[in-house]
Amino acid sequence: MSLQILINGLATGSIYALIATGFALIFNVLKFSNFSHGATMTAAAFTAFFLVSQKGMGLVPTLLAAGAAGACIALFGEFVGFRRILKNHSSATYFFVSSITLGTLYEGLVTIRVGSNFFNFPSFFETPTLDLGIIISTSDAIMFLISIAALLILGYIIQKTRLGRALRAVSFDRDTAQLMGIDSTRIIQLTFVISGVLAGFAGVFLGIKYTLYPTLGSLVVKGFIASVIGGLGSLPGAIIGAFLLGVVETGLLSVLGSGYSTIATFAIMLVFLLLRPQGIAGSNVQEKA
Amino acid sequence: MKMKKLLALMLAAVMALSLAACGDSGSKESAAPSQSGGSPSSEAPSQGGGEGGEILIGCLQDITGPTSALGMSVQAGAQAAVDEINANGGIDGKTVVMKTYDTKGDVTEAVNAYITAVTVDKVKLIVGPPVANIANAIKETSESYDVPVMGFALDPACQMREDGSVYKNMFCFQPSATTQGQIMAAFALKNGMKTFGVIYNQENAYSVSLLAPFTDELAKSGITIDNSLVVAYGAADTDYKTLLQPLVSANVDGIYCPNYTQQLVAIATAAKELGYQGKLICGLDAAPSFNTTYGGDCSNVYYINNINTEDATTAEMAAAVEDKVSAVNKYFLGYDVVMIAKQCLEEAGLEDNAALVSAIENVKDFKGLTGTLTIDPATHMPDGMGMFMYTYENQTPVMLEEFAG
Repeated sequence: MSLQILINGLATGSIYALIATGFALIFNVLKFSNFSHGATMTAAAFTAFFLVSQKGMGLVPTLLAAGAAGACIALFGEFVGFRRILKNHSSATYFFVSSITLGTLYEGLVTIRVGSNFFNFPSFFETPTLDLGIIISTSDAIMFLISIAALLILGYIIQKTRLGRALRAVSFDRDTAQLMGIDSTRIIQLTFVISGVLAGFAGVFLGIKYTLYPTLGSLVVKGFIASVIGGLGSLPGAIIGAFLLGVVETGLLSVLGSGYSTIATFAIMLVFLLLRPQGIAGSNVQEKA
Repeated sequence: MKMKKLLALMLAAVMALSLAACGDSGSKESAAPSQSGGSPSSEAPSQGGGEGGEILIGCLQDITGPTSALGMSVQAGAQAAVDEINANGGIDGKTVVMKTYDTKGDVTEAVNAYITAVTVDKVKLIVGPPVANIANAIKETSESYDVPVMGFALDPACQMREDGSVYKNMFCFQPSATTQGQIMAAFALKNGMKTFGVIYNQENAYSVSLLAPFTDELAKSGITIDNSLVVAYGAADTDYKTLLQPLVSANVDGIYCPNYTQQLVAIATAAKELGYQGKLICGLDAAPSFNTTYGGDCSNVYYINNINTEDATTAEMAAAVEDKVSAVNKYFLGYDVVMIAKQCLEEAGLEDNAALVSAIENVKDFKGLTGTLTIDPATHMPDGMGMFMYTYENQTPVMLEEFAG
């Protein structure tokens, strides 16, 4: 595999890592797969596109707007879609149905606004490439660095702060954490906010790479696969799984070309899960739905 | 408790009614009347074909979906022609009404909309889409009816069977893929390009149909493209950087990209980010609005076009509509085809559909905004119609040369 392909794979993997981490965070705390995450990415990216980047503002304001929009959308989703279900200790199926419904709602609203058309973020960088012996796309390099920085900050918050300890406590046992004086509702809200911010970032990065269109969120499946490979619920596992998926996918596309590479990617993932169903992290949280 | 149950029942009833309403609105949307901006033709009659002094024509386009910019532009041009015809007394004293059917860029929706148009609304003819996949989907169904589809699908397979016979109702009113591929290759050779790569969508009839004419024309000059430099992709592919890598590494003079606008934007972005210094030779979909959507410097993009913006009349009309439509060339195609339909309806009369098909088959030397058009009855496509090669100076389109068909 050439260095160029490896770089492409790492750049793609870093975006998958943002998706997978947002996905894994919710799974970690609420033990269900939030399928509205993809549509949250799309809606947040479109919000930032229309409110910020289309007005000529740069990448940082666009990311801030997308993060804020993603947080608001995720918070809305938590309140409307999940809180009552959570409080009533309802059947796990309701989480699944609610997340699918929310995703469809967001995607529908975006489609009504933009009419199934596609959009392209303006070029954020004066120099499109960096020549470091090999050609590296400026946008790929920046996206990679921002993704890594976001994930490191998240790791610090979760491991080193009181909020992070509370989040881990709630993810371990919500009822006991509540009895210990932790406001689990607030912590769940915080989890959705973080997940929404990551979704906003991922949406903008996907939009920069692939253009922005209402069904962009379908790429959430890559994040889902990465978090399964990593071990559902494990944040480090999700990140490793995402980079692995990005590099394998890009390598196979380069070697096998279109068509076969998609089949081969999924075949490899199936074989991996057959051999190690608990994922890379080795711990697998029992899923509700 | 009772109150809660009552509330739950009411919510369930509201949801059921909403779902029913959604289903209803969906079917209406697929056959929505055109938005003609207050034109008397905006409301379609329940039965087409001349009742109440009206002639109903259909307009089957991608009004939503990834190629909606093209479909909406064709629709706008067709509607402008309809309005102009009606302002000048209609056809045989009858008002022309155009009803638009949204294919949503989906072949199933397209077939259903086509059947609705010809069986329920009984349209006299259909202004077809500029999208080969959609035309391919309806060509077999169209054989069961006597309603001509006057479209723009440049893939000859949309008009002709493998045995060379034509689908009786399918017509294309712009130069075929063969002509366009040959013109783009001739342009590349004339401009000193010697090495080429290709990136095309193997799941798209438009993209596939433009491949062989280009490579065959190059082969006539002794230039062959190595298989490793012909890259196919599909709808699921998004990593254009990896796909383009071998072409950029080979440092080819030109990359041939017969793709839709969305893919072209992603391909041009990826090529730039890989540091590609050569030229991108693109089909019709690199015409504006590609430049504004892409947003950057498009000076290395070369594309084929139906219209000559150096012509004063064309430039004036283009300037008048360029703020209203995304793809000006498609607007002109829509306008021209309705004017051709008018001529054919006047020739054939309003009662005999076979005569109408025959009149369309024998269109000769029609002078439209997209050139002088003669239909070849053996192919149902234009015969000898030329096109124009363009590039951009930064983001401004520049006409380079006219090529004969």
